[in-house]
Amino acid sequence: MTQITLHHITKSYDGQNAALHDINLTIADGETVSVVGPSGCGKSTLLKIVAGLEFPEQGQIFYNGHDVTEIKPQARGVGMVFQDYALYPTRRGEGNLAYFFEVHQRSAAEEQARIKATADLMGVDFAWLLGRTPDTLSGGQQQRVAIARCIVRDPNLFLMDEPIVNLDAKLRERTRMEIKKLLRQFAITTLYVTHDQQEAIFMGDRIAVMRRGRIEQIGTFDELYYTPANLFVATFIGAPPISVLPATLENGQLTLANTTWPLPAELGDRLPVGAVRVGVRPEGWRLDAPTGAALTVRHIERIPTQQAAFIHGTLAGSAVTALAPLDYPTVHTLAVAPLWENALFFAAEGEAILHTPGTPDLF
Amino acid sequence: MSLFPKVGRQQPQLRLAWWMIVAFLVVGVVLHLFPFYYMIALSLTPARETLSATPVLWPSEPTGAAWRLVYEIVTRSSLDGRVRDLMRVPFMVYFGNSLFMTLMTLAISLPVTSLAAYANAKLQSGRSARWFFLFFIGTLMVPGVVTLIPSFLMTRNFPFPLPNPPLIPGTDMPFPTLRFWDTPWAVIIPGVFNAFNFLLFKGFFDTIPNSIIQAARVDGGSEFNIFRRIVLPMSVPVYAVAAWLQFGAVWDSYLWPLIVLQTPEKIPTAVAIANLMNRFMQAGATNAEAAGAMTESMREILEAGLSWNGLMVLGLLQSLPIFIMFIICREYLMRGIRIRGLK
Repeated sequence: MTQITLHHITKSYDGQNAALHDINLTIADGETVSVVGPSGCGKSTLLKIVAGLEFPEQGQIFYNGHDVTEIKPQARGVGMVFQDYALYPTRRGEGNLAYFFEVHQRSAAEEQARIKATADLMGVDFAWLLGRTPDTLSGGQQQRVAIARCIVRDPNLFLMDEPIVNLDAKLRERTRMEIKKLLRQFAITTLYVTHDQQEAIFMGDRIAVMRRGRIEQIGTFDELYYTPANLFVATFIGAPPISVLPATLENGQLTLANTTWPLPAELGDRLPVGAVRVGVRPEGWRLDAPTGAALTVRHIERIPTQQAAFIHGTLAGSAVTALAPLDYPTVHTLAVAPLWENALFFAAEGEAILHTPGTPDLF
Repeated sequence: MSLFPKVGRQQPQLRLAWWMIVAFLVVGVVLHLFPFYYMIALSLTPARETLSATPVLWPSEPTGAAWRLVYEIVTRSSLDGRVRDLMRVPFMVYFGNSLFMTLMTLAISLPVTSLAAYANAKLQSGRSARWFFLFFIGTLMVPGVVTLIPSFLMTRNFPFPLPNPPLIPGTDMPFPTLRFWDTPWAVIIPGVFNAFNFLLFKGFFDTIPNSIIQAARVDGGSEFNIFRRIVLPMSVPVYAVAAWLQFGAVWDSYLWPLIVLQTPEKIPTAVAIANLMNRFMQAGATNAEAAGAMTESMREILEAGLSWNGLMVLGLLQSLPIFIMFIICREYLMRGIRIRGLK
């Protein structure tokens, strides 16, 4: 059982551009943290530094309070799953699982017992995979062997580097469930890297959003969604994304897309007068509002499983998506108004956030 | 096959192109096989016929005389003293020399070269990796004749490429040097690092995904264990190719062993056969005595029954190990491709 602490980690590959910049992160024992961010933001580097495959230029890593910054990956006892599975091509499934026991000079009996236990855990048909060479396995099967190789050693830390991104959509769904089940079963500290925010939300107890080598915000999904730290996090989290519209605030009145609304008093007092930007999530629109601005509809996307439809359109030149009931009629324009209690306010320039609605008390 | 699409094979133009490619390849195969055919045909030709002006494509009366004669020469079992003296040392000694030098070079060179390539491909990174790579590859750019004399001098006064070792400053004692001139090591040591094989290994190791090495590291394997247990089994085909290339190069090398090996008991078969051939082929002399002696020597050899037919038999014997090595390496190459180490 391991608690991981990253302390002011800085890493640069070429000496000039920092791949990681002053990363501070604590992962509690048994917690799963998803790291999400656009490609090239340093999330894989972060994972490799935790594994010991890369060494930071500055900063320290602690496992349970022990400084492991200089410890080689061989001695850290982590289990890692790679995006390309990274199975040993000349070894059968069983040989892939056995390598750990071979290099640690464990007894054959222990090796067999552990492989058997892992196979039982991985499901009924897993034993069949053990006798096959990796090139005769499909992507999903290879990934199952790779996950088994990761758990067969009883790792004190799981590291997953986009493990399911190479699988097709259906298999991805199933493997996602399987990994989640395993994580719950083991309750092992996990760092899960992905570029897919849905996956990050599904896997992680907490989510770290990264950009250009920095962690922009870390928190539960609700925290990231309702109280984003800046414009980047607000636009990155949420699908379909938040609409950010330029507006002007004067005398407690907000002008947006040639329409003026009075703001609720406690909101109007808190915001600076002048140009601001308003962020409205799809569910933050009131449809057919009597004082609404005209939304030109481009396309209505109906999603029966969620009993909802997304109205994609433009409002005064900006792309806007609004949530509607599934049976909302097909129209060309409709009047929309922001629900002020759900709206976010950003500064007119830069990424600073002025106001967030705060995490709702759902239960 | 994959050169040609399956679709549209029936079209006349494609068919024509297909047959033209086949014809081109047939010409290539014939060009490669003809020398071997000619060697075999000539080895079965009677001595007199090999000296005729018209080339012999197939002997009028095939005979095994040359093979018998060569057997007598290499075993020195002939009752005729002239035949016995054609080779001063039993052929098996030359063969043993060749085998020792070649196998020893392989045994040292393959691990050294492949480990260097692995380190360059997977353990070094960035600028240092690039410079090391350029340095190693740079040795390919220097023509062999440029390094021939310095290398020769080095075998005499290792590590100085000088005719005489320099004196230790302040004394009149020369630096101690190592002399492996006129020993098999003079042939083996320069072949230990093979830049071409380095390129071959490096090209292959570059195709191994880093994640496999990283996965093995996370599994706890030491760097050498990873090389031995994970990388080596994947690399069998490359080792087969490299071993075959180097086997052929060392086995057939002539100039270098000729320079560094003097004692007749130490020369390899390539040099021994060439020496024999030289005695037969020498032409031109500066004075009458030399010309007379040469004619005498040629007459002796011819009288012993040795002509081009016998030399062809020796040539075939010389190439035989390379064929055998090719068959062995090909087997490993194919097996390696089957286990999908090489994609």
